[in-house]
Amino acid sequence: MKISDIILLASDNLKRNIFRTALTAFGVAVGIGSLSSMISLGKGVSTNISKQMESNDIFTGLTMSSRSMDFDGYSNKTILSDDKKQTVPLSDSTIKEILSWEEVATAFPEQIKPATINLEGKSVVTNIKAIPLEMNGFYPFTKINPGSFYTSESEPCVIMSKIVLDKMGITTPYDSLIGKNIEIITRVFDLDKIDLITSKKKQLPVKNDTTILKIKGIVQTTSFSAGIFNDGIFLPPMTCSFIPSIDLRNVYDIINGEQGKYGKYNTVHIRVKEYAMLKPVKLRLEEKGFSVFSIGDKLEDFEKIFFMLDTVMAVIGSIALIISIFGIVNTLIMAIYERRKEIGIMKSLGATAGQIKMIFYFEAAIIGFGGGVFGVLCGKLISQASGKIANSQLGNFFDSNIEYFSFSWEIVFFSILFSVLVSVIASIYPANKASKIDPLNALRRE
Amino acid sequence: MALIQVEKLSKTYKKGDNKIYALRNINFDIQEGEYVSIVGKSGSGKSTLLNLLGGMDTSAEGGVYYNGKNLLTMNEKDLSYHRKFTVGMIFQSFNLIPSRTAIDNVKLPLIFSNYPVMLRETRACELLYNMGLYNRALHYPSELSGGEAQRVAIARALANKPKVILADEPTGNLDTATSAEIIGLLKMFNEKHNITIIMVTHDKETAYKVSHKTILLSDGEIIKITSNQNK
Ligand SMILES: Nc1ncnc2c1ncn2[C@@H]1O[C@H](COP(=O)(O)OP(=O)(O)OP(=O)(O)O)[C@@H](O)[C@H]1O
Ligand SMILES: [Mg+2]
Repeated sequence: MKISDIILLASDNLKRNIFRTALTAFGVAVGIGSLSSMISLGKGVSTNISKQMESNDIFTGLTMSSRSMDFDGYSNKTILSDDKKQTVPLSDSTIKEILSWEEVATAFPEQIKPATINLEGKSVVTNIKAIPLEMNGFYPFTKINPGSFYTSESEPCVIMSKIVLDKMGITTPYDSLIGKNIEIITRVFDLDKIDLITSKKKQLPVKNDTTILKIKGIVQTTSFSAGIFNDGIFLPPMTCSFIPSIDLRNVYDIINGEQGKYGKYNTVHIRVKEYAMLKPVKLRLEEKGFSVFSIGDKLEDFEKIFFMLDTVMAVIGSIALIISIFGIVNTLIMAIYERRKEIGIMKSLGATAGQIKMIFYFEAAIIGFGGGVFGVLCGKLISQASGKIANSQLGNFFDSNIEYFSFSWEIVFFSILFSVLVSVIASIYPANKASKIDPLNALRRE
Repeated sequence: MALIQVEKLSKTYKKGDNKIYALRNINFDIQEGEYVSIVGKSGSGKSTLLNLLGGMDTSAEGGVYYNGKNLLTMNEKDLSYHRKFTVGMIFQSFNLIPSRTAIDNVKLPLIFSNYPVMLRETRACELLYNMGLYNRALHYPSELSGGEAQRVAIARALANKPKVILADEPTGNLDTATSAEIIGLLKMFNEKHNITIIMVTHDKETAYKVSHKTILLSDGEIIKITSNQNK
């Protein structure tokens, strides 16, 4: 008996009860559909999102501070009392030491000044941030478009971020913004007004200072980024230091009467070379008494959510598949009863037990194949739809659309193969039963 | 040596403590090319004997030898070989597969015997043509008359060129004229192609008329074997 014969015989049998066949195959399709989309989700999340995050800074970025801030207790922003945690000053030598570590790609002090910026007649209160030249080539400065990164530490220019432009409500095409002047207004001490305090006129001894710089580039970051790059505008360090501003930290120090206790810098931004190094570096810094924060840690929570989603789908898929296996067994056993006489005739014509079994295996395989193909198709459609929904919900976290589902040809191939395999396994018992039919019994007149 | 030797063949059915002898100590030989009829009253064991000869049933004592090989001790594989190539069976109720056309019914044994795919159509057409059924090839069994259906069954039984045709009351469901037609066909194959025919029938008259040998059964025992060497 040739395979083509078996397929023909099997499909003839299936055609005779096309509705039942379709229902059985549909059961298989549900199982395979949910299983395949689950696998593609698992794969999609682990490859695409990870890739996305790796290209992002959250995987490799750390923020370290001298103060023992409880970053995790984000909501209450507690500053732990000093005797609870010793403070280690953040100075140039600290940064130098950190830079000498093998795992560290770069590190720089986070210098932030509050400012109001005016552009195109619109204004916003934000921070200006000093970013060293070394950050060229690191996320998010790999995403400058249009424009480019600055080429010297004192270039009189800024890099705008898309987030700030959005906040300002600027809709001008970005290309035309390059080279435009931007007004940066900072607050400085007004020595003239100090007298006025003593004369009891209630006015703070401050005044505005305006700096004008050119826009050099626009960085296309999204909010899914480590702290310092979330918003604000970025400046070469020297340029930034020329902009006068009241350093609030100094004020804090003065008030506490312990100038220099926290060192020269508030916080230092560190980039490790790869994600695997994030934890070790974090631990090392914490051992030294620094307080360290990284969103990379939060990735685990993110992964947990996807893992849970995956598990739920796996359970649904498995249950559906188990039910569909029973469906196949049931369909084939019903077929045995219906075709008892026919099987008897076949045996009287010389069909062997093996040949009878083969017909049943192939019937199951065809159901499995049909169900598998249909299931994979549905799985693909469902995952495409859910991918779109996920993108519309989570889109602003990421720079571009993410393929949450990686529905590769391998998944298609192996899902269908698996479907066929499971179906054939389900048919073993019915096939065995059919092959044992006694032709004499089957042909006896009732 | 005889083609078929039946030796001390007994078959019993157990009904509680009772033993019912369907066949009791049967002995006979059949030569190649013989036309043998088995006659006897209802319940005398004719079908039981024919099924044992066809390798459809092996639970009996004694021996059913084809070319010296005992069917009763054969394994499943050899038994299906026997059913496929050595014998062809036809039944009172035709036993065609209703969902398959006449030609597809005829092709079925060719599928099981791995007959070359390219030649199956030709072989099946040839068989149907010989049965005078060429224009019925694409009919379903329900669209055939009793006589036509039985002729399709004969064509199917002959597909793998068996040495022996086993027919259990092949004319039982047919009128006299059609019966004669079927018997005539069997006789033709017996004479022209030297196919051994073993036929169970109620009709003693026909049996004596066409057969070389008539075995008369009663209560599972052979009462008499009549030979007519003129046939
Ligand atoms: N499966 C069975 N279980 C019990 N007894 C059986 C079985 N099959 C046949 N018999 C008995 O064996 C005996 C022979 O039956 P068999 O069918 O061979 O008779 P037969 O000569 O073919 O009769 P008929 O002409 O009516 O077809 C009968 O007494 C019958 O009751
Ligand atoms: Mg009978």
